[in-house]
Amino acid sequence: MLLSIIRVLPFVSYVSYVTYISFCSLCNKTLSEAFDKYRRKSKFYMMRIRHFLLVLSALMISWAAVAQVSFTVDAPALTALGQPFRVAFAIDAEPENGSLVAPDFKDFDILAGPSVSRGHSVQFINGKQSSSFNCTYTYVLMPRESGTFTIGSASVKVDGKTYTTKPQLVEVIAEKQGASGGTDTTTTTPENRIGKDDIFLRLKVSSSELYKGESLRASLVLYTRVTVENIESLTMPPFDGFWSQELTFDNSPSREEFKGRVYETYKITELLLSPQESGKIVIPEAVMNVGVQVVVQEKRHYDPIFGGRQVYRVSRELKSAPVTINVKEFPAGAPQSFNGAVGNFSLRSTMPEAEIDANSADQIEITIAGTGNLKFITAPRIALPESFEVYDTKVVDNCKLTPTGTSGSLTYTYPFVARSAGTFTIPRIEFSFFNTETKAYETLATEPFTLVVKDDGSTTATVPTASNYSNYGPMRQLDRDIRFIHTGALPSKAAAAFILTPLYWLVIVLIVALFILVFVVLRKRIRERNNTVARRMRHADKIAVQRLRMAERYMVEQNRHAFYEEMLRAMWGYISDKFNIPVSNLTKEKIREELYRRNVAEATAEQFCEVISRSEEAQYAPSTTGEMDEIYAEAVEVISKIESAVKK
Amino acid sequence: MRDRLYNIICVALVSVASVVSPAVVRAADNETTAHAGWNAGIEAYNAKEYAAAVEAFESVVANDYASAEVYYNLANAYFKLGQQATTSRPFAGGELGRAVLNYERALKLDPTLDDARYNLDIAKDYTNDTEAVPESFIARLWHSMAGAMTTNGWVILSLSSLLVTVVLLLFYLLNGAILVRKVAFFVAIATVSLFILATALSLTQLKAATTSSRAVILTNDTTPVHASPDSASKIIREPSQGVTVEIERSQDEWSEVRFADGEKGWVRSTNVEII
Repeated sequence: MLLSIIRVLPFVSYVSYVTYISFCSLCNKTLSEAFDKYRRKSKFYMMRIRHFLLVLSALMISWAAVAQVSFTVDAPALTALGQPFRVAFAIDAEPENGSLVAPDFKDFDILAGPSVSRGHSVQFINGKQSSSFNCTYTYVLMPRESGTFTIGSASVKVDGKTYTTKPQLVEVIAEKQGASGGTDTTTTTPENRIGKDDIFLRLKVSSSELYKGESLRASLVLYTRVTVENIESLTMPPFDGFWSQELTFDNSPSREEFKGRVYETYKITELLLSPQESGKIVIPEAVMNVGVQVVVQEKRHYDPIFGGRQVYRVSRELKSAPVTINVKEFPAGAPQSFNGAVGNFSLRSTMPEAEIDANSADQIEITIAGTGNLKFITAPRIALPESFEVYDTKVVDNCKLTPTGTSGSLTYTYPFVARSAGTFTIPRIEFSFFNTETKAYETLATEPFTLVVKDDGSTTATVPTASNYSNYGPMRQLDRDIRFIHTGALPSKAAAAFILTPLYWLVIVLIVALFILVFVVLRKRIRERNNTVARRMRHADKIAVQRLRMAERYMVEQNRHAFYEEMLRAMWGYISDKFNIPVSNLTKEKIREELYRRNVAEATAEQFCEVISRSEEAQYAPSTTGEMDEIYAEAVEVISKIESAVKK
Repeated sequence: MRDRLYNIICVALVSVASVVSPAVVRAADNETTAHAGWNAGIEAYNAKEYAAAVEAFESVVANDYASAEVYYNLANAYFKLGQQATTSRPFAGGELGRAVLNYERALKLDPTLDDARYNLDIAKDYTNDTEAVPESFIARLWHSMAGAMTTNGWVILSLSSLLVTVVLLLFYLLNGAILVRKVAFFVAIATVSLFILATALSLTQLKAATTSSRAVILTNDTTPVHASPDSASKIIREPSQGVTVEIERSQDEWSEVRFADGEKGWVRSTNVEII
């Protein structure tokens, strides 16, 4: 198969070259026509594509050139004394007849061989014919004694050229006596024909004692001396207390010696375990159910032709032994900057330029590279000056899982903007880890770095101007300090509390006394005023009567003007005194209102007003004596009417 | 007879003068010393000579011229002195406790002194004082209201509202106009309420300013707090200097203290000082 691919390679490379040429020309044409302004960019990509294809085709051609004859040996690295094994020399070309020179196998007995097998295949791919050929010489050998032996080089000639194999080491061990329980023929049931030691599961750990943060490799391996038909089920143990990651591993079967016996081994799984706590951690058993083939030589029905072999299938539950891992705490004396990093690391830093402008962004880069618990490393702290605006640290994780732990690098980027001008020192950045090889703490540190921030002229950090104020964001509390003392003259002694003192009660008593005094005095005065009003009201009709008498006298004297004047005074004054309304506030409307309020008949009120109107008219108009009589009589009548109505 | 009376009056005057005049002279003396101390303190503080500032401000207090400002300046000087200390750690001489004590004294005299409250808050950051059991909303509102003015401020408010009430009552009782009487009546109800509120707040303030159960722990480092007044008993807490406690009772040379979170214990009386 491989051979056929190799044969085809030149053709493939030719096809790809043609494709590449046509692609290139096509690209050139279309790109130059259609995307003129992107020509530069596209040329760059074109260059890259060209580059890639060139490399690819060169690689293919070189493969084709290497496609030479290969001559290899296949022999087990480990075998047991008393067990025959197979050694095969394989060549992928037609060897010259009888040109094989086999090694002398001086330490082994040759049970059979060389048996030759040849194979030839012809393939047509796209009308092209290709053929492959192989030829295998097989020997069956039996070791004579235990030890490590060399199977020497074999050589063969192809087209006049000689090819040789590399010498191969074979370790022969003497298996323990009585261990071959599996071949006990006296027991009858097929289940019993498989001994406990013939097939078992084992959890192999790379170390059983380690520090917290270190990691170990655990692989679950199936050891067998019998044919395993299939795996029915597999229950992995819970790796409590560990952070486990699956590793990629080579799952081809191999041979291994265990307790003096040789086993076929199959790696089921391989994990990288990092303990998360200290102390003794037990990994419980893994359970696996397998189907095993058992071949039984039937004694009773022995068939000379078919051998009378009976093949049984036996199910077996396999359990691996629990494994105890001792996780040790870190020794005392951890440096300040130790943060649980375990392994072997190196520190690299990229500082900004020594001189930068104020308000320009820059960054510090710290790279931690090495092998260890990189996944659990936290970013080293950098004490940047207060006037630096620091942004979130970015991490670029460039780690991969290896059987010895996580290895690779972590790059931390600390972006910042220097806000104010000045010369600043960035102190050394420390990173400590526990070195698992030397079993000691190691501290890596960068050199202190002096940074000059030049004033960019536009701003100063202390006096923000309106134009760049928004750059500052909300005011930040930098550090708290107590407020300054109170200066000025010595303040007077602390005043004693005034409340509940005699003076306080005195003030309260004074206020209450003031209230009482003012109240009493004012009330008396008010009462007196009220009394005069009442008297006036009582005497209203009397005064009116006196005035009317006065008017009567004027009427007798025929003094018209004085008569009407007295009449009006009598009437207005009557109302004013009776209802305690100042004369200046009185109108006819007001009189009507007041009378109405006091339940005096409307007609009476109207009559009263008319008397007033007529008196006013008559005061300055020439008139007869009879009129005066009339008005006088009417006034007396209406006043007496009102008097009687109000009194009611 | 007359001469005798004259003599008696003379003797009485002289004896009164002999008693009073030294007191007057002493008071005047105190005043000049206090003034000198105050000015010297400010100067020393400005020159960052905090030990001298502490001494000067203490002399002001000793001369009976204590006020909220003096206590505040004294506390500041103590705090700065403790921070300035060149020994291995700050406040090694117990300055933090003294600073807290004097801030508390300043606030006791004048709860409206904002700067003292601010600085006390900073000083408390250096102690391991526990969080106080939160008061109810009403109690918090009441105390923050009471703290808005000094006792005398509240008293003046209460008395003036009483005076206004009286005037309004006179209006209500003696005025004839209905509208005036109505307005006077309702405003009088409001001022009477204000009088009651202000009096109550001033009494609250008076109580806070006169209770002497609050104390500050004064040591160079931490103080062991025992479960009982006995140095062999279990140590239940180790408050640092500057932790404020309430003294519940005293027995021999021990005081039972209650912490802000309600825990109680016994400390030696020499380790606490009443605010």
